[in-house]
Amino acid sequence: MLIKILIAGDGGQGVQTISDIICQAAFENGFFVNHIPNYGLEQRGGVSLSYITIGDKEITYPKFSMPDILVVLSKQADNRTKQYQKESVKMLNIEDYKKDLEKQSVKPQNYNIFFLGLLAKILVEKKICGEDCVLKLLEKKFGKKENWEEKKNVFELSLNYV
Amino acid sequence: MVNSRQFLTGSEVFVRAAIDSGAGFMFGYPITPASEILSGWINSGKKYLQTEDEIAAGFALCGAVLGGEKAFTATSGPGNILMQDGLSMAEGMRLPFVMVAAQRGGPSSGTVIYSQQEVILSCFGGNGEGMRFVYSPSNLSELYKFTRKAFNDAWHYRFPAIILTDGYLLKTKGVIDFAKIGEIKNISPRALVPKDSVVHWPNIYTFEEELYQEIKLAKDDFEKVAEDIADCESYQTDKADILLVAHGIVGAAAKEAVDELRKKGINAGLFRPITLRPLARKKLDKIAGQESVKKIVVVESSLGQLARIIRDQIAPEICAEFAYMQYPGLGIETEAIVDFVAGLRVVSGEI
Repeated sequence: MLIKILIAGDGGQGVQTISDIICQAAFENGFFVNHIPNYGLEQRGGVSLSYITIGDKEITYPKFSMPDILVVLSKQADNRTKQYQKESVKMLNIEDYKKDLEKQSVKPQNYNIFFLGLLAKILVEKKICGEDCVLKLLEKKFGKKENWEEKKNVFELSLNYV
Repeated sequence: MVNSRQFLTGSEVFVRAAIDSGAGFMFGYPITPASEILSGWINSGKKYLQTEDEIAAGFALCGAVLGGEKAFTATSGPGNILMQDGLSMAEGMRLPFVMVAAQRGGPSSGTVIYSQQEVILSCFGGNGEGMRFVYSPSNLSELYKFTRKAFNDAWHYRFPAIILTDGYLLKTKGVIDFAKIGEIKNISPRALVPKDSVVHWPNIYTFEEELYQEIKLAKDDFEKVAEDIADCESYQTDKADILLVAHGIVGAAAKEAVDELRKKGINAGLFRPITLRPLARKKLDKIAGQESVKKIVVVESSLGQLARIIRDQIAPEICAEFAYMQYPGLGIETEAIVDFVAGLRVVSGEI
């Protein structure tokens, strides 16, 4: 079993934050995980990419030419990842959810949490990690912040999203 | 008990290896992708000096090891160029100068994360013809092991030792199981200039003959230990038709490519030099000299720096054809290697 995930968003959207949580959850469940954050100069406004590989065997090379799952958090990231947008790749693109999220008053700064939930759902189905573990790690990261309840609600919304 | 299985970045693994090696001091100037080594070292609470540039860091390191301090530096790209000044002095004086070179793209500032373009610079960057050890690990576990070995070899044999890495290896967070690495004993440092003593130890000579003798001595010493130091991985090379040659993280991709090529019925194998200097020449000659080997494919993220070393060192009577896959400054994924090799076979009409 080997699953390759590419998460792309604008610098500051929390791409690395949700990547860290996904990776930690898979690691704690005994899987081999490789995470390479491709942050060149995007602190200055570019696209932040995160390459994640999760497997039940040792992973030899951290990058890949085609992901199994592509998560896109912004228009800019959408343009930057055109080469990966193939039929064989499962796409989770903000463009497909934006209207719904606005309707449910999810703030743009929590879009990453929404996609964390969608990813968690896929990984739970594949028995890579449990929802509880992801929520626990999310709480560890944001539990003491003022907007924790808001983030928790977005996470729960995404877990139940159909 | 601390769980031996850990999820760490390459920089974190290096810092741990340096601490476990008994290193007590780091000199350096921050540069991506080596900066997290300096910040990680500072966070560990160990002694450090952030100098005004890499030239100062290099010479400060020379001074520290003369005083018996197990110390090191880390740098990258343009910093690696400046560091050659101190490294050259360390070669001339046979100092245990330990350095991590985190390759980034060039020329000049280039890119900030990855390349394999500092191979020639790291192996042969000094003026004159000094001797040094260069290790090119391909994963976190090797990064740990060969960092420990670099400190030991540098202090045991008194040659500079460089751990050649890149930003992929240092910034990637992956799983490492320390229990699988086993115990490594440290070589103790000693003051090369004992405290309160006066030693006349030149790094400049009046007569050409004096310098000649020194270079010859260093060369002889290096050759005596070269076979013990030289290390490589040989994977599926027995009776292989196509021999891939790749180092570092590209070596990891090439290893996967061998498995994929074999599934397609292509009889490929891999020679992965772990030490780029000295190179495991005897093993290379034995593998590449097999009658079965029709092609040697050198795969690297540079315009042929590894290929230059291989061609220079391989026995001249080996007549397999060379082919080159060169992506200067660009990562090379397994699939790309598989396509390249399969393409070669189609062109030459073998399948």
